[in-house]
Amino acid sequence: MKQRAFFVLAFTLSLILLFIGPLSAKEIKTLSQFPMSGPVGSLPEFGWGFIDGMNWVNNEGGGVNGKKIKWFLEDMRYSPKVEIANFNKYCAEHSPDEFLIATGYITGGLKPLIDKVNKEQKIPWLDGSYSAEIFGPDGGPIKYPYYYSLGATYGDQLKILLKWIKENYKGKGDPKVGLVYSPTAWGRDGLAEARAYAKKKGINIVAEIEYPYSATSATDECMQLRKAKAQYVIYHGYSGASGCTAIFFKTAKKILKRAQLMGTHYTTGRMPILVAQDAYDGYVGVATRPFCDAVPRAKTPMDNKMVKMAHDFAKKYRPEEYKKGLRGGGIKDMFLYMDGMTYAFLLQKALIEADNAGDLSREGVKKALDNLVWDFNGMFGGKTFSYKSHTIPMLQIFKAQVKLVDYKGKKVPMGAVVPITDWINVDEVKW
Amino acid sequence: MVDFIQALGSGILVGLVYALLGLSIVIIYRASEAFNFAIGEFLVIGSFLFYIFFFDLGLPLLIALPLGLVAAGLVGALVERLTIKPLLGRSPLSMTIITLGLGFFLRACVQLIFGSHSYSFFLELPDITQEYGDLLFLSDPIWAGMLSLCTFGLIIFLLFRTRWGLAIRATSENQAKAMAFGIDARFILLIVWAISAACIAIAGIMISNFGALSSMSAIVGLRAIPVVLIGGMDSIGGALIGGIIVGVCESLAGAYIEPLGLIGFKDVAPYLLLLIVLLIRPYGLFGEVRIERV
Amino acid sequence: MLSIENLRVVYHDVISVLNGISVTVNDGEILIIIGANGAGKTTLLRSVAGMIDFYDGDIIDGDIKMNDESIKGLDATDIMKQFGLTYVIEDRPVFWYLTIEENLGAASFSRWDKKVKTDMEDVYGLFPVLGKLKHRKAGYASGGEQQMLAIGMALMTKPRMLLLDEPSLGLAPIITEELFSIISQLNQTGITIILVEQNAHAALDIGTRGYVMETGRIVLDGNARELLENEDVREFYLGSGKKERKSYRDAKRYKRRKRWL
Repeated sequence: MKQRAFFVLAFTLSLILLFIGPLSAKEIKTLSQFPMSGPVGSLPEFGWGFIDGMNWVNNEGGGVNGKKIKWFLEDMRYSPKVEIANFNKYCAEHSPDEFLIATGYITGGLKPLIDKVNKEQKIPWLDGSYSAEIFGPDGGPIKYPYYYSLGATYGDQLKILLKWIKENYKGKGDPKVGLVYSPTAWGRDGLAEARAYAKKKGINIVAEIEYPYSATSATDECMQLRKAKAQYVIYHGYSGASGCTAIFFKTAKKILKRAQLMGTHYTTGRMPILVAQDAYDGYVGVATRPFCDAVPRAKTPMDNKMVKMAHDFAKKYRPEEYKKGLRGGGIKDMFLYMDGMTYAFLLQKALIEADNAGDLSREGVKKALDNLVWDFNGMFGGKTFSYKSHTIPMLQIFKAQVKLVDYKGKKVPMGAVVPITDWINVDEVKW
Repeated sequence: MVDFIQALGSGILVGLVYALLGLSIVIIYRASEAFNFAIGEFLVIGSFLFYIFFFDLGLPLLIALPLGLVAAGLVGALVERLTIKPLLGRSPLSMTIITLGLGFFLRACVQLIFGSHSYSFFLELPDITQEYGDLLFLSDPIWAGMLSLCTFGLIIFLLFRTRWGLAIRATSENQAKAMAFGIDARFILLIVWAISAACIAIAGIMISNFGALSSMSAIVGLRAIPVVLIGGMDSIGGALIGGIIVGVCESLAGAYIEPLGLIGFKDVAPYLLLLIVLLIRPYGLFGEVRIERV
Repeated sequence: MLSIENLRVVYHDVISVLNGISVTVNDGEILIIIGANGAGKTTLLRSVAGMIDFYDGDIIDGDIKMNDESIKGLDATDIMKQFGLTYVIEDRPVFWYLTIEENLGAASFSRWDKKVKTDMEDVYGLFPVLGKLKHRKAGYASGGEQQMLAIGMALMTKPRMLLLDEPSLGLAPIITEELFSIISQLNQTGITIILVEQNAHAALDIGTRGYVMETGRIVLDGNARELLENEDVREFYLGSGKKERKSYRDAKRYKRRKRWL
């Protein structure tokens, strides 16, 4: 009999513990989704950066004033459908009091979620999309109060490039600019803003060419630009790693000898150096993050605090992947790793601010984000930004310096993109 | 006028590469009546094999190119042994469907081994860019066109002037008859697949040399479909003419129709042309006249 | 000497075509095999020539021996090269899209040497009409010319034994006669010939020995002369014999008088 009583007691106790346990402490939950596989290829770097960042945040970083963040990470496979399904699942599984922030990475998922996020769930949503349609003048905080972007919109990026052209143009008459963009929602994003701005500034857009991803030759496109006598060519809406980028730069270098090639965020970085090699030399592009990965990696400038931190993290937590680099299973581009990390830091920062204000809820986090003024761990050379436009409005213009060097009897590209301006806060620019 | 000549010229140069792709479809079609839908994947694999020899191992071009082609041929032969040979004597349709599945399988293999990012692909061929005033023909397409034409000529020589070519043509007509007269039809089929794979590899290398190589390059292989359908599925000369027609059609559409605002028309134009050709001549322009006996 | 022992062949794993056949072929003779459609004559030749796999058939029992050496399971090309056995498949096995000269060339693929050209001339000597048409596509030649070409091609392989599958199919009687005289000429040069025929009369006229096949079995054998005079053969294959017409039921061939070898 005694034994039975003991079991009954133990059972009751464990039941009580099971129910009281979760009730006693409110958890902080976040959901992050990155395109780690799918049509763009295998990009586990996002996840690695995010996991390493989150682990640091919860341990060395001190969590949210001592409380740990219960974070969830999902691979949305570059598919809006998967992104939406994951989000719906987490919304249903976790109470709104605990599930405080969600993050996504693609424009495609933002659009169908507009009502769900902004009207139904009212959960702050951080996104990697730079879509001018959602974060630009036609969208923004008023229309989509819970959407936040982690970079300046493509409209702003194109405008900054046009502004740079106007300021640096030395010839007679109006500068002639050709636009080359991918026939996708991405490629067309921000073009309307750029056209209007060019008109206002007296910049002549002489050619607008849609150049498809599947292209095998860019000769026709470049001949059209040559015929239009374009002096500047802005290349927008492509991944720097894709073959069409290499084809375009290689062909343009030969046909458009005197034109200045320019581009937006995703073609400013490491991959174009690797695939387009010396054809990429002299390219001027705008980016929303500091350049973090030269070729070879040892030459990466470490004067930026965030860049240094990303490399330190990668060396410490992923030494093998860091060493492997481009070879299978390595960190191909530190930008991806660093971007995963920045999400972790931004989540922590927003939650700490909300906790400090004493309102650790979705509304509290939103308020904290709206009022956020931060230097993002020194990512923008010590400059601070405010998040009131719901985009991190920082941009920098870079110029590529690539040359081919002999290495073990082979010609390999070596180089980096170097900043030619200071960090520009587009919220403060006098257009 | 200058524009027209420019478009025509670059169309012909690219068309010659398409012609080579068409040829590799045609010889397989003639030999086994199967349409090789895995052509895009063969193209990527062939180019990557060359990439390994030339860029990774750093061999000189004149050694790396034959090695790459031989390796591509071996892959073609292996594929034939594993997937086509067991189906010998069965319906050609089942072989065609096998190649479709094979395409998916090989694509996954390539992505698994090489990843899906682009590899830079700059062959340092001598610069033979031709520029006359406004006319400009870049070095790479000229090389591509020339090399493809040479390969085409070599294949025609092989088929029509050598004993092996005779055996290939005999086998292509009827495997049973060929076997009865002592031609090892199975081995000939193996050779045909190897030659086809090597031809596709040459086309792939030339196209990759326009800029970069990635698993996405497989799309180019699909241009062979309008080429062979316009030229005639079983006609070797038709592949050449079909290739040039498709190249020129694409280039003219790119130069004259796309600027009107019809973006992407370039990719559709060959298919429109194909539709017209098939309405007038269902066997394709140069489809061989069947010998019918009553 | 070729000997086929108790051969059983099945198509697609289910259709039994040869149900235990034994045939011997002596060197230097013309062996005639006659039988109705579907009796398995072509299958027999395919099995001997090593082409049965190609048609998805299997030899499930028995053996084929050439001078006491088994050739069962060998490839068609190996059998041709090692044993000089050439099989001329039925219905004019020429390559329609090749010229007559190319056809001869293709047939000599397995033994390509310097003597090919002179051998070609020999074939043109045997069939002068081929020499005149040598640059014409074979598909445009007449039926008789095609059949001559087929035999010419077989000669290009330098055979010691020829397997001819219904060479007279679809030919005018006068051409058949010419063809058969050429076949017996070839036999006199030392080539053993196995001739499968529907035209039993003409075949038995030139043959030394003959077999009668029915539904995968040998039902009768003997000298050609004997067979020509055999009442049943005359009745069922030569269309002569007793004058009065028999009812169809009686014409059930050898069902009642089966004889096993």
